[in-house]
Amino acid sequence: MEEGKRNSAHGVFAHLERLEAEAREIAVKEEKMKQEEEKQARLKARVRELSLQRDMLLAKVRLQKKLREKRAMSDPAKSSARAVLEWKIKNIKGMLQISYLTGISGKQTKQGVCFCISTAYESTYLDSYYVHLLVKPEVQIYQHSVPTFIPLEEIAKKYLQTDIGRFLSVLSDHLNAYAGRKYQADQLQEHFSDQIEGTVQRNSLCNLLVFNYKVSSKSKTFPFNVRLLYGDLCCSLPTEVNVSCTPDAPASLAEMAAAHSDLFRRVALHKAFRSFSSAEESVDGAP
Amino acid sequence: MDETVAEYIRRTVLKIPRDEIKTMLEKWGLLSETQLQTINFRQIKESISQDVVQLCEENSVDIKQAAVLDIIYNHVYPNKRVWCVYQMKKTGEEAEFFDLTDFKKKFKGRLRSALKNVTINFREYEDNAIWIRIAWGTPYTKPNQYKPSYVVYHSQTPYVFISASVLKSNLPLLCQALVLASNYHDIREMELRSHSLNSLKDIVFKRYSQNFQTHYPRPLQERNVAPKSADLRIIQENRNEKERIERVNREVFGDGPQPKLEFAQYKLETMFKSDPQMDVLDKKEPFRCLVKFSSPHLLESLKSLAPAGMADAPISPLLTCIPQKARNYFKIREKKHFFPESFVSP
Repeated sequence: MEEGKRNSAHGVFAHLERLEAEAREIAVKEEKMKQEEEKQARLKARVRELSLQRDMLLAKVRLQKKLREKRAMSDPAKSSARAVLEWKIKNIKGMLQISYLTGISGKQTKQGVCFCISTAYESTYLDSYYVHLLVKPEVQIYQHSVPTFIPLEEIAKKYLQTDIGRFLSVLSDHLNAYAGRKYQADQLQEHFSDQIEGTVQRNSLCNLLVFNYKVSSKSKTFPFNVRLLYGDLCCSLPTEVNVSCTPDAPASLAEMAAAHSDLFRRVALHKAFRSFSSAEESVDGAP
Repeated sequence: MDETVAEYIRRTVLKIPRDEIKTMLEKWGLLSETQLQTINFRQIKESISQDVVQLCEENSVDIKQAAVLDIIYNHVYPNKRVWCVYQMKKTGEEAEFFDLTDFKKKFKGRLRSALKNVTINFREYEDNAIWIRIAWGTPYTKPNQYKPSYVVYHSQTPYVFISASVLKSNLPLLCQALVLASNYHDIREMELRSHSLNSLKDIVFKRYSQNFQTHYPRPLQERNVAPKSADLRIIQENRNEKERIERVNREVFGDGPQPKLEFAQYKLETMFKSDPQMDVLDKKEPFRCLVKFSSPHLLESLKSLAPAGMADAPISPLLTCIPQKARNYFKIREKKHFFPESFVSP
């Protein structure tokens, strides 16, 4: 206001111009805000419209479903036949689900058949291995999860083209025997590590085990060395056992070595060791 | 103790991260408990290494024993090297009795008969892995301990993992010795390379999770389904498509973690296909091109492409066949009309 008074004639008009410009700006801003609000209101209305439409359509779909079900259920003869069919299907599905307990089960796939071989050793279930076979143009292995040290290619070469059942059963024998040998060796290392000296020398197929273990007789411990060779890859008991003791050991130990050797050939490894510890307890306990 | 041995031990200890030095020396077993207790493991690494060298002097450690420390370091940190996979072939069906002492004797014998100046160390581990360290020399020079080759072999498998040293000229001799010692008759390099040794093992030993179809529900069915954010105003309109993509992805990649590869390389020798009117290349010869995918974890990133919306599901089989075909180097030639499947060269 002071500036206006200072430049008297131009000042007032300039001042008026400034006020006008301000008023215009405010009007423009208000216009913009009004437009934005209108736009928002329009969009909200549209959203409401669309969701109403969607709710109506959903309701229609639900109604149609209900009508269809009612129609299906209204005919009693049809519904009982349907119930029987459903029961049959459920039964078969259940059977297919537990068929893996037999050890070999299969499922048809787009490309062929996928077989599952489950391994077990003396009532403990172990890993499962899969073989996915293609059936055309000829039977071949598409994909598998069999470990590389199992001679899969050799077994396939022998039996896959002629007799798939035989192929599966031979493969299952190999896998089960490997799983059994591995289980015995793992159990040995887990539960009887106090009787074992040093490390157990194994190989991938677990068909050659060499280790030293302690045998106590008359409150003195003697080291035994044992070499277990599992010549038959389909068998989980060794074909060749060598138990040796140090040359300066007493004669009674030689007998014990022979007895152990015989035991390892007949009985699972961890069970043999379990019988040692119980035998020792009974011997030490005896007066 | 030789100066070279002292220097080698010093440099090997310097490689080890400070917190790991004590455990690795214990695994090495060449210094006694009392000796280890005299070392202050909180000082700077240079001083620790000097102390270790001092104690080794007292024990008169030789180069072969010093090399064992190197094996231990590389066993704990195998991902610092690049590993190549080799496959061996057998002729007949011989009995599968793998005798470790026999293997070692034959291997050493073959190498030593060709080259007198080599340092060979073996170390066996719990998972049936045999680690072999070879330091190469020439008929006139001592073995170079700083550029050894490493071989990892699992008995009774046809696969060998080799981390060659820079001296590639010794590779044929190494391969020959391996074939002889393990009773195979031929060896070839597979097109599979990575830094992660365990992932390479997972791929060739088929230990990674593949998705097989079965009737019985497997226990690992419940994947961690993250609870969807409870904003009820957000509705997934294309939920079916999302679920389809998830399903297809799971069928291809399986449920578990993928093996870790760093790259996949495709060498294209195909013709350039353009609009005939544009006539870009009038010479009818293959357009040579190399496509390389690299990533810190290639297979996991491929697995997340479709759910992230960056690619269509199912993903091209050229990318998803990598673990199954056990290769990450491919050569792609023209599709021949009578062999529609086999246009990827073996």
